[in-house]
Amino acid sequence: MNKIWLVFMLLSSAVLADSKQPDAQYCLVCHGSAAQGNAAIKAPNLTILPDWYLRQQFIAFRNNWRGSATNDAHGKEMQAVANTMNDAEIEQAIAFIRRQAPVKLPISVNTTANVQHGQQLYQQCQACHGAQGEGNAQLHAPPLAGQHNWYLVQQLSAFKNGWRGNQNDDSYGQIMRQFAQSLPDEQAIADVVAYIDSLPSTQPLLRTSR
Amino acid sequence: MSNYFKAPLTRRQCLSLLAKAGSSSAVLGAAGIFGLTNTPVNASPVTLKPLQGKNRKVLILGAGISGLTAAYELERAGYHCTILEASHRIGGRVLTLRRGDFIDELGSPQICPFDDAPNLYFNAGAARIPAHHTGILHYCRTLGVELQLFSNHNKNCYTQDDAAFNGQPVRIREYEADMRGFIGELLAKSATSGAVLDQPFDEQDLDKFIQFAQAYGDLDSSLTYRGTDRAGYAAGGVTTAGILKQPRPLPELLRSDFCAGAMHFAEIADQAPALMTPSGGMDSIVKAFLRQLTTPVQLHCQVSNIQLQPQGVAITYLKQGESYTEQADYCLNCIPAQLVSGIENNLPADYVTIMRQLGRGKLTKIGLQAKQRFWEQEDIYSGISWTKQDITQIWYPHHDAFKAKGILLGAYSWEPQISDRFAAMTHQQRLATAIAQGTKVHANYAQHIENGVSVCWQRMNHMLGCGAVWPEELQKTGFQLLQAPAGNHYLMGDQLSMHPGWQEGAVRSAWHALADIERREALRSTGAQA
Ligand SMILES: Cc1cc2nc3c(=O)[nH]c(=O)nc-3n(C[C@H](O)[C@H](O)[C@H](O)COP(=O)(O)OP(=O)(O)OC[C@H]3O[C@@H](n4cnc5c(N)ncnc54)[C@H](O)[C@@H]3O)c2cc1C
Repeated sequence: MNKIWLVFMLLSSAVLADSKQPDAQYCLVCHGSAAQGNAAIKAPNLTILPDWYLRQQFIAFRNNWRGSATNDAHGKEMQAVANTMNDAEIEQAIAFIRRQAPVKLPISVNTTANVQHGQQLYQQCQACHGAQGEGNAQLHAPPLAGQHNWYLVQQLSAFKNGWRGNQNDDSYGQIMRQFAQSLPDEQAIADVVAYIDSLPSTQPLLRTSR
Repeated sequence: MSNYFKAPLTRRQCLSLLAKAGSSSAVLGAAGIFGLTNTPVNASPVTLKPLQGKNRKVLILGAGISGLTAAYELERAGYHCTILEASHRIGGRVLTLRRGDFIDELGSPQICPFDDAPNLYFNAGAARIPAHHTGILHYCRTLGVELQLFSNHNKNCYTQDDAAFNGQPVRIREYEADMRGFIGELLAKSATSGAVLDQPFDEQDLDKFIQFAQAYGDLDSSLTYRGTDRAGYAAGGVTTAGILKQPRPLPELLRSDFCAGAMHFAEIADQAPALMTPSGGMDSIVKAFLRQLTTPVQLHCQVSNIQLQPQGVAITYLKQGESYTEQADYCLNCIPAQLVSGIENNLPADYVTIMRQLGRGKLTKIGLQAKQRFWEQEDIYSGISWTKQDITQIWYPHHDAFKAKGILLGAYSWEPQISDRFAAMTHQQRLATAIAQGTKVHANYAQHIENGVSVCWQRMNHMLGCGAVWPEELQKTGFQLLQAPAGNHYLMGDQLSMHPGWQEGAVRSAWHALADIERREALRSTGAQA
């Protein structure tokens, strides 16, 4: 049976390549028609993320740094896609995302969160992610301002519970995990996210390729 | 005798035993797992008044059953339709796979490897139609779709549960015969012991009731279950006298979860015999619609913006990386709500908020090509075997008996966690799992299986779910809002029916929207504000 499979896979890979839609239109199915993210799919806003960060995350998915935890169904979705893409396709996808104009997200107010407490907590985030949540390429810290609040909550929780930042060779992830673990509970996560949410949307950092 | 109990039971004992053995609440619980229990009421097909020269344009988003239904009815009445479909194919969740078909699962793309033969197809989405789904059957009838009988329940299939019978598969025929025998005896004995129901119940009723219990369980004249030929004979039965099988002990039967779940699957209104399905695959319905349509469905058109306008709707879509915009009087949208919520729009905010809260249903189906129809050697033609393993079910083809090969359904689970587990595997791992687990039902399974397909609906491109999941509270507050038009835009599809997961829901949602357009057109022609 294995032999049959092998032959089949060889024959079909050429056909598969053809059947992929051009220009990575695929991304927009989950991430929204302007790559602005989609709460129903739990897919983040990509338009605020610079090329280097997108590339880094493709690598993270392919290296099993993201999406390996058993219950991380959303991470696994993206991981499965990343695993089918070669380097050239990843660059194509990034270039395609770059062509999408950043979309202003609707303001969502979390009434149970304490923004002031969030601001205090954000002090420790600032060193890497910037005072305005604009990110820092040198430190490999992504922009946060303009990201969906539900996504930030989800990722802080993922770092905290070890779905992210739990692998020896993922040094940036490990650093972030330490900070996430210093947030004592869900309330703290909600507070710091509420503060980030209150930051005026910065234009994404460098939008250069490579 | 009562190997099951020594003294006549009290009603309370009887009821508590019944509760264990699959009472109404257990059955209802199971029904909840399996799908809906309510039955849609007949509706008369929509017939739109011809436009008679008026010029009306309608944009239909998505070429699923609801979109095709709408397009067919609108064209017949003289509306000009444009159908935009994001995928490379028409049909949406009606997906019949044959050799060479591309399976567009995100992260697990496949090409269907079945041999090229008319009987080798797999309904990876919709597969069966109950007789009371009069909307979809109306189109089967009027558009000439040939139907065959389809069976969920076949007594010769197996039930397998590691917790019972040493994990060995047992014929449903035997399991059900013994279970009914036990229940019949229990009922008869508790009735004769003077237990009374709360309802008025006289001597005559009691007599009838005992007769029922006797017939139900196939009890002997002393109201005892001693085995039955319903279970099939252990030996003989044709030219020599039949020898009954020894009943299995009740505790052993109860160890299997079959009695509290799958045994009652075919009692569910939408799953009960007799069911039907189109000959040659469910997509015969899609093809029948396409034979009628004059405008071709436009493929690879991914809608990216929905703008309500004072007099109509403007739709932007991406095709081969280019953006195009079209305007129309009306827009009928059958794109899954979880995807609409990611499409730029100026729909009312409360409308979009509801869409975001709809859950994504998770379902996995695996189809396997067998080089011999080995199930026929085991007296199985159609029906479902059940197992407690992740694959949950094995379906045998209801069609083309005695052909050389056949397509089995090798896994179909409604449990989201199970579907998550399949989704996390590579296609090859899914097939290996399906074969390994199927081996507990059919010992030589692996040597019969040649190849297969796996479809995780929550991962399918342009779907990302097997259907909308309405949280109960949200349905109470949000359903009507989403069902009503927003400007000249109508959201439809089975997601906007109380019957999601069935083509009937898709058809009826289209009729619902069309009836409203008809109403507005009537108002417009009298000059009133629609
Ligand atoms: C596993 C499974 C088993 C089922 N079993 C049965 C059964 O036995 N019997 C039964 O009657 N029903 C069954 N159903 C349900 C049935 O398949 C559906 O109810 C029906 O097909 C839904 O039709 P629809 O028009 O509502 O939506 P869909 O068929 O989902 O159509 C939506 C369409 O929108 C398209 N689309 C998505 N995004 C865009 C975009 N951005 N732009 C343009 N187009 C877009 C999609 O590609 C798709 O073609 C089953 C479904 C599944 C998944």
